[in-house]
Amino acid sequence: MVLNFTRSVALATAVLAGLSTAAHAEWPEKPIKVIVPFKAGGTSDQVVRAFQAAIQENDLLPQPLTVVNVGGHFSIGARQVMEAQPDGYTFLSLHIALMGGEGGGIFDFGYRDFEPVATTGEFCVLPVVRKDSGIDSVDELLQKAKDEPDTLLFGANLGAINHMGGILLQNLVDGAKFRFVQIGGGTANFTALTGNQTNASVLSAAEVANFTRNPDGTEIADTQIKPLAYTGAERVEGLPDVPTMQELGYDMTYCVQSWWFAPKGTPQEAIDGVADALQKATQTDRVKKFYDDKMFGPVFLRGEEMAASLDDTWARIEPVAKQAAQK
Amino acid sequence: MIDGLTGALLHIFTPMPFLYVLIGTVAGIVVGAIPGLSGAMLIALTLPLTFYMEPVNAIVLLIGMYVGSITGGLITATLLRMPGTPSNVVTTFDGHPMAMAGRPGRALGLGIAASFMGGLVSWVVLLFLAKPLSIWATRFGPFEYFTLILMAMVLIASVSQGSMVKGLVAGFLGMLVSMPGVDPSAGQPRLTWDWYVLNGGLKLLPVLIGIFAVSQVIGDIVTIGKRMERVETRVSGMLMTVKDWRDQMWNMLRSSAIGTAVGILPGIGASIGSIMAYTTARNMSRRPEEYGKGSEEGIVASEAANNATIGGALIPLIAMGIPGSVIDAILIGALMIHSITPGPTLFITNSDVVWAMIAAALVANVVMYVVMMGSVRVVARIMYVPRTFMLPVILVFCVIGTFALDNTMFDVWVMLAFGVLGFAMEKGGFPLGPFVIGFVLAPLMEEKLRSGLMMTAGSIEPIFTRPLPLIFLLISILLLLLPAFRAWRVARSARRRLDARADGASS
Repeated sequence: MVLNFTRSVALATAVLAGLSTAAHAEWPEKPIKVIVPFKAGGTSDQVVRAFQAAIQENDLLPQPLTVVNVGGHFSIGARQVMEAQPDGYTFLSLHIALMGGEGGGIFDFGYRDFEPVATTGEFCVLPVVRKDSGIDSVDELLQKAKDEPDTLLFGANLGAINHMGGILLQNLVDGAKFRFVQIGGGTANFTALTGNQTNASVLSAAEVANFTRNPDGTEIADTQIKPLAYTGAERVEGLPDVPTMQELGYDMTYCVQSWWFAPKGTPQEAIDGVADALQKATQTDRVKKFYDDKMFGPVFLRGEEMAASLDDTWARIEPVAKQAAQK
Repeated sequence: MIDGLTGALLHIFTPMPFLYVLIGTVAGIVVGAIPGLSGAMLIALTLPLTFYMEPVNAIVLLIGMYVGSITGGLITATLLRMPGTPSNVVTTFDGHPMAMAGRPGRALGLGIAASFMGGLVSWVVLLFLAKPLSIWATRFGPFEYFTLILMAMVLIASVSQGSMVKGLVAGFLGMLVSMPGVDPSAGQPRLTWDWYVLNGGLKLLPVLIGIFAVSQVIGDIVTIGKRMERVETRVSGMLMTVKDWRDQMWNMLRSSAIGTAVGILPGIGASIGSIMAYTTARNMSRRPEEYGKGSEEGIVASEAANNATIGGALIPLIAMGIPGSVIDAILIGALMIHSITPGPTLFITNSDVVWAMIAAALVANVVMYVVMMGSVRVVARIMYVPRTFMLPVILVFCVIGTFALDNTMFDVWVMLAFGVLGFAMEKGGFPLGPFVIGFVLAPLMEEKLRSGLMMTAGSIEPIFTRPLPLIFLLISILLLLLPAFRAWRVARSARRRLDARADGASS
């Protein structure tokens, strides 16, 4: 009974909302909701909040963005947006985990079920090992993983970004195999490496810099870990002495981009409006500073370009995600 | 060190920063005291407001909230048996019976003093031992965690009141409902019946609020027509006397030490700290039979420990950039917004912020003590407010708090469902404490064990070959056997007395 009543109220409100948007075509006439399918405080949340602040400070949109964190598994928030009214007032911010989850069979929808809005910034990762491991290069790491398959402990959050990064690495050399261990995200892996519980992992550039470098760029004396290479196309500014994978002769780039999506059927003017605001925001001091601090690459894509880039990423990631799901 | 600390303290006592500590602490206490609203939520909601504040002001505001919320939870835990935060669950065991026996002021006073002491002890540890302790904490591998949690788990048996079998049933039920969701060790959904909202599992807060607060509301509604017999309520005995301090000092220090140690370990929260301190206190007590019926030691142990976890959890955050608790993870986010990255170099890059955090933890603790003691008389009157006015308000806050947690309506339905379950369990005599403890600990224990097994390719050998796991395992076994041993000794002495009497009669 109660449920039915709530449902009919919700339905009536939805219908009314639909009517009112049809009546006043001026978008936006109310605040725009951005769903971050993670808890407050993480990197994904910080990205959206930096853009939110930049847009508000510089009046890039006539209405404010409101950030809504939907915790639990990220598929829950993503699905909320997918099933939301495509009225131009609900957006999603997510990254490659969306493809990892679809490829790994955790849920049955994917990036094609959304309207791509914009890609704002990316971070790439670095394979790291313990300093006292006797491993000094990616060559040695992969050679060891080949000579003693399934013995090097690779800390990861199974099925997630760092796990897929590890699989991409071991796939570079035939027969190389890490033993993946559930540890968690970047900080947890730093902890596990420092405590000599695992042998390798991948960390983001900002994490490596934070855990191993003094503010002036010199190495922290008592740090236990060292990065071996950077998976971006070019060296990262804060870690100039770390070579890229491509310089080392490996055909591997692995960067995590921030994607903004809208529900299928969202009016083009709303998609363009948000994309415009995001594009302008990338030129503000706040976002530039944020990119610098987090060592993000300043990539910006929208429209066809973004769609093509998503297809390209999916083609590379789907097999890796499948591999990650097999245990 | 002295310069940094005094500088930061002087800075905090200038009007604006002090105002922020005050606002933060009071807001934390109020939110912590309202069943349904949690400190983590308050801090997450405050985060956007701190964009435009000075970094130091922002951080002292958030630290004040952190300290206030953990302490505020003891008010409702004691007076209404509705723990404001997960870490106050254990406080309900003795705080509520004491309040019901007509001594709410005494119960609150003890809890507040213990909270203050716990905060102080962990603060001193934070000040002097941050670096070495956080390096020690990184050595804690999966098997160390597994056996530590196993030890806490075994305590289910000893905290359960009444029937041991019903306690175990409740504990296992709690473990069972923690299982659905995306499997933490394989990234695949399990027991979700293809129902996507279950991918995130049944979350702690909705379940906790349902099982404790909503079930209590339902229970009160059922009895609302009946005339409640009112106990004589006295607010006296609130300030601890010198004798009280002397009696409780050892308990306080021990519980604070346990809370601090548990706080330092990343990922396991304040609730484990208070469970461990409570059961340790009970096992070392000269009056274990009072526990669960309004023991002063029980309140002190639980509250000293859960407040001590705050300082403990700040240790790895400040020294290594590793969050020791959920709230710490949000604090890291808040620092990042101000372009401050917590990590091993935080002392070099932003020493003013570090010292402000450390100083704020101390000042907030003092503010908390003063505010709480000053308001106990008023707060204890909650006991007098007619239930007809109070229950709707509480229920509304429960719904708001649960929804705001992750912005999903599903959590609200979960909360209501567990309210009904909690009510039914109470009626059937199944204790709620073991249920919640099982629910909180089972996923952690599973995750750590499976990580460990992945490392060793399926061998559990490290449990027996590493020192810490072995010690934890032996303590677990001991804890399991202790009640049986006690029962055996009681039975034996009774038999001896009987035998002696029989001997006397026959001769």
